[in-house]
Amino acid sequence: MVKRKRAGLVKVQNLPMLQNLIRRDPPSYREEFILQYRHYESQRDIFMSQPDGSESETFCELVGFMSNVCSSFPDLTQEFPNDLAQLLLKNHAVLNYDLREKLVQSLVLLRNKDVIASTTLLQTLFPVLTATQSKALRTQIYTTIVSDIRNANTKTRNHRLNKTVQAVLFGLVEAGKNDPASTSGLWAVKLTRELWKRRVWDDARTVEIMKEASLSANGKVMSGSVRFFLGVDQEMEEAEDSDDGDDVNIGKVKHQAGINKKTNKKKRKVDRAYATLKKQQKNKNKPNPLNFSALHLLHDPQGFAENLFSKHLSRSNTKFKIEQKLLVLQLVSRLIGLHKLSVLGIYSYLLKYLSPRQRDVTHFLACTAQAAHDLVPPDVLEPIVKKIADEFVSEGVASEVATAGLNSIREICARAPLAMNTTLLQDLVEYKGSKDKGVMMAARGLIGLYREIAPEMLKKKDRGKSASMGMKDHETLRFGIEKSGEIEGLELLEEWKEEQRRLKRAEKGLDSDVEGEGLEEVEEDWGAWEAGSDDSDDDETGWINVDSDHEIEISDSEDESEKKPRKKSKKAGEEEEEKVTKDSETPNGQLIDEEIEKKPSTFATTRILTPADFAKLAELRTQAGLDKLLGNGKKADKHHTNRTPITNEDAVDVLAIQGPAKRGKADKEARLAVAAEGREGRDKFGSKKGKHAEKSHSTTNKEKERKKNFLMTVRKAKGKQKRSLVEKRRVLRAHVEKQKKAARKH
Amino acid sequence: MSKITVAGVRGNVKELLEYSTNEKKRNFLETVELQIGLKNYDPQRDKRFSGTVKLPQVPRPGMTICILGDQHDIDRAKHHSFESMSVDDLKKLNKNKKLIKKLARKYDAFIASEQLIKQIPRLLGPGLSKAGKFPTPVSHAEDLAQKVTDVKCTIKFQLKKVLCLGVAVGNVGMTEDHLIGNIMLAINYLVSLLKKGWQNVGSLTIKASMSPPKRLY
Repeated sequence: MVKRKRAGLVKVQNLPMLQNLIRRDPPSYREEFILQYRHYESQRDIFMSQPDGSESETFCELVGFMSNVCSSFPDLTQEFPNDLAQLLLKNHAVLNYDLREKLVQSLVLLRNKDVIASTTLLQTLFPVLTATQSKALRTQIYTTIVSDIRNANTKTRNHRLNKTVQAVLFGLVEAGKNDPASTSGLWAVKLTRELWKRRVWDDARTVEIMKEASLSANGKVMSGSVRFFLGVDQEMEEAEDSDDGDDVNIGKVKHQAGINKKTNKKKRKVDRAYATLKKQQKNKNKPNPLNFSALHLLHDPQGFAENLFSKHLSRSNTKFKIEQKLLVLQLVSRLIGLHKLSVLGIYSYLLKYLSPRQRDVTHFLACTAQAAHDLVPPDVLEPIVKKIADEFVSEGVASEVATAGLNSIREICARAPLAMNTTLLQDLVEYKGSKDKGVMMAARGLIGLYREIAPEMLKKKDRGKSASMGMKDHETLRFGIEKSGEIEGLELLEEWKEEQRRLKRAEKGLDSDVEGEGLEEVEEDWGAWEAGSDDSDDDETGWINVDSDHEIEISDSEDESEKKPRKKSKKAGEEEEEKVTKDSETPNGQLIDEEIEKKPSTFATTRILTPADFAKLAELRTQAGLDKLLGNGKKADKHHTNRTPITNEDAVDVLAIQGPAKRGKADKEARLAVAAEGREGRDKFGSKKGKHAEKSHSTTNKEKERKKNFLMTVRKAKGKQKRSLVEKRRVLRAHVEKQKKAARKH
Repeated sequence: MSKITVAGVRGNVKELLEYSTNEKKRNFLETVELQIGLKNYDPQRDKRFSGTVKLPQVPRPGMTICILGDQHDIDRAKHHSFESMSVDDLKKLNKNKKLIKKLARKYDAFIASEQLIKQIPRLLGPGLSKAGKFPTPVSHAEDLAQKVTDVKCTIKFQLKKVLCLGVAVGNVGMTEDHLIGNIMLAINYLVSLLKKGWQNVGSLTIKASMSPPKRLY
């Protein structure tokens, strides 16, 4: 009652005051609220009848008041949210700007107070978003929608909401799909892209919206969604990097806190910095959520690529500009390469654009290379390669053109080696002697490629040493063959292990072993065996023993600590085994040899390779690759390490096709600019004195002394102290004489 | 599960075989599958991997294979009593998507003679490669039966839209040693494919068609 009395003193007409009071004690102010609500209802009815009425300020205030307090009287205000929505939906075009903004704000407020559901809010806002002409309102609604969906998805994915919103967006896209003038899909694309970028939506359904949008007849909608597919992953990474940008420098914060007075505020600041740092580290250690790129999540890539091609790139379709067509082409070729699709029409379509005069021809060349993969029939690709060779790589074309041509041929052939025939290859390879660097490098690239994949197609002189040595066991290219993989360099690892074992045995100085092995030693093993015998000679000193143990331990600790004990125990086991065999004095050499014979086939099937093994494998592989490149060692030519296969995952880089940029002759202005740049911050030409002129002070005594003519100072240069005895005497005599003379005069 | 040992694998395989051959024997030849769960793998940054490897033993002897060939190869196929189709048969499909899909579903793998294989994309369209069953070439010089076994032995690891994958590595009719050999090779090969090796492997499980799963790692 006390409260009520005090409240009676204030003017309840003042809405903010009333709002405050209601919030504190809703039941006591029920009557006042009802009064205001009636007021609001009458105002609303007036507005409904003439929405463009000028007196909107009081109504604005009332709406704000109602949305703030209506959660306290849910029984009275059931209609209120609906009223607002209707008002906005019906009259958004004619309403006053302030009121419109207020309405949207109130709806968001109601959403935040959980008076209405997210779906209701979004269902109200979407139609307004697409229908309104006002840019300000659109931006407001857009940011509202994005933040609402983000908030709904912060803790866990709100699948239900996402589903409804995605359905709405899909509907928007679908509605304007066949109408070139309709831009209703634009907002859907924008919204989807934003939410994808922020990793709020990353599922197949989202991709499906974009897929639908990219088949739209409207150029803007189409190019927006095609760009999404082509570049969104990169965008996402960039966004992530920029998030990392606001990290805290804990050292700096601590330092600053320690400088002046120690206040609580500063302490809090440090604490906060620590908290953010901790959070960041936690985030960093968290495993990445499953995120596939949009291109991988497509449901039916083949159908999509075919649709895109037939809808946007057919010859009858003339409403798109060449840039837009290029975008579509990039997407289609990317899809074809990535999913190994067969859309045979695209190759003849591309043929049209492959001439040096075509604008953006490097992009078209890149698309061609992207669209090539090993399941495309060679007879489809051959004409393309032929045309590029004819138009780009011939006598009398500029060197840039030839570079682009050769590079694109290389890229195509790296993906589909059969597109090339022997005569053409040998012709193209002749450009390796070109004077232009780009052309020469491109031709060499082609040689390098075919040395790996099909050295028999090259002339003998171009094959190189290692390629011609490896030709015997090189299989010819065949269409459709899929190489069954193997663990690369497994045999290297096997050999290494064998060697290690032998070394260890030699350390022990097992004579019987040595004898036994000597019988069936393969020529290759000689090196190891010799080294082994050397070791056994040195064994008395104990040096080698320590050394090799040390080595092994290093390799262990490098790899993984958890595996260490296991390996050790294995080693110990082996040693024990050896001891046993030694004790029993059986000629175990034979036994071991049998093992060696048997092992190559079963190495990978009888043991599980540990992380340490894999690390060693990688090391051996790089070593072998190095040996091969340097061309030394008999090991080198035996194992030809494969080049990393092209996986079509990435887009073909246009820069890779253009080759190194050539600098043309600069015009006069450019040369002058370069010269001026060189002069910046350089001393003036002229005398040394002139340079000191701008000094602020005059010459010092020291400087004067240093610069005085030598002949003027030579007499003074010898100090009194340094005079010899004779000289001293002479000077003294002269002085005495002088004095005497002076005395005589007087 | 911190590590995987040969003994552990052997024990699990034994239990599995015991269950499927004695305890609950089914009326068909159960296939043993290796299921792999990956971790710390970001499909966007790390490239998706795919690879095929030839196992020492045929994991699924019941695999149906169709030979698409010229006259010579069809004759050879008949001799070995493999199923076969000629160019005319393929032309009869008339690029009809449904029929091609049906064909792709009917067989587990295809082998085509070298002369024919270049026409396959034109004759059949994308249907076969869509199903991941693009034919393997065979030349007249090669032994057809050998080729068929090779194809049957080959398994493919390919990451799809989820971070787990399963491959058939054997069947319960195999001996323990053969099965272990197949499993080991598959595991080793898979790990060698992964960028970070064992750090990328979340779990390894073997399971026969109707047995409870056995976790290896």
